Amino acid sequence: MKLLSYIKQWKSAARETIARASIAAQFLSLIHITDAYICSTTLVQGPSMLPTLNYSGDVVLIEHLSHRLGKLEPGDIVVVRSPVDPKKIVAKRIVGMEGDRVTYLTEPSYSESSRTVLVPKGHVWIQGDNVYASADSRYFGAVPYGLIQGRAFLRVWPIRDFGFLG
Amino acid sequence: MWSIIREAFDKTLLVAKAYGILHITNSYLCTVALAYGPSMIPTINLTGDLILAERISPRLRKVGVGDIVIVRSPVVPSRVVTKRVVGMEGDRVTYLLDPHNSDEVRSTVVPRGHVWIQGDNIYNSKDSRDFGPVPYALVEAKLLWRVWPPKDFGPMQHIAR
Repeated sequence: MKLLSYIKQWKSAARETIARASIAAQFLSLIHITDAYICSTTLVQGPSMLPTLNYSGDVVLIEHLSHRLGKLEPGDIVVVRSPVDPKKIVAKRIVGMEGDRVTYLTEPSYSESSRTVLVPKGHVWIQGDNVYASADSRYFGAVPYGLIQGRAFLRVWPIRDFGFLG
Repeated sequence: MWSIIREAFDKTLLVAKAYGILHITNSYLCTVALAYGPSMIPTINLTGDLILAERISPRLRKVGVGDIVIVRSPVVPSRVVTKRVVGMEGDRVTYLLDPHNSDEVRSTVVPRGHVWIQGDNIYNSKDSRDFGPVPYALVEAKLLWRVWPPKDFGPMQHIAR
């Protein structure tokens, strides 16, 4: 008899736990879907996008809609999964889309020699604004379009640099 | 009238929640893929097979040589292709340049962060022999278990025949 009442209590506690857990799960999924498919924030740091982005770190808003709709164009700052290290995400500017001819300095610190490449189909050419300290397409070549994760459009921190990136 | 609107709203919310769960399962756990085309004959039928594909192994870097994977195409980004992994980063890959006409082979080392994928039917497959090694981050899922047609129900072969 006592066992039956214990089971009843356990059942109602379990039901309530599941109800609350499902609310939490729905909330987390909503946050996740917004973060992955609409808009998210990232800390971007390093010297490769100077002077546009600061060396010590900026918090930027990333939108994940443009690259899915095919609305990216040269001049957009994009976050891209690195082709040489799949765990790393880098922020660079698109310099050329597929079919464009891109000319770049092969050794900007030392000489004026330049090279011209044709960006292959399905790829983009990305470069950091700071050509002297940026590992980008000049180093690892054109990047498949599928590696693009999103476009950085607004800087939110530090406050004195708040504004749209373009 | 408001009760109808409220009911419509509740039902829509329910559908949205169900779709959200389905979508998250499909994107992060396990999905059913329709694989068709000549490039993986005889492993995958020309007219199409329904195959269960899991998305956890690529994230955990547990994809290796011999696995059949779904990869986002580096040439047409809106398309995904199904091929077999023949080489991981650092491996030396040797392949026939033109299997129909000659025995000439070429050999390359797969660069860091990339994989070399080939279709099992090398006579009719556009793969790394055409578009080069593919960055690992484009690997989206690993094929696990074939569910249709019923006569081919069973696990996908790990080692290329």
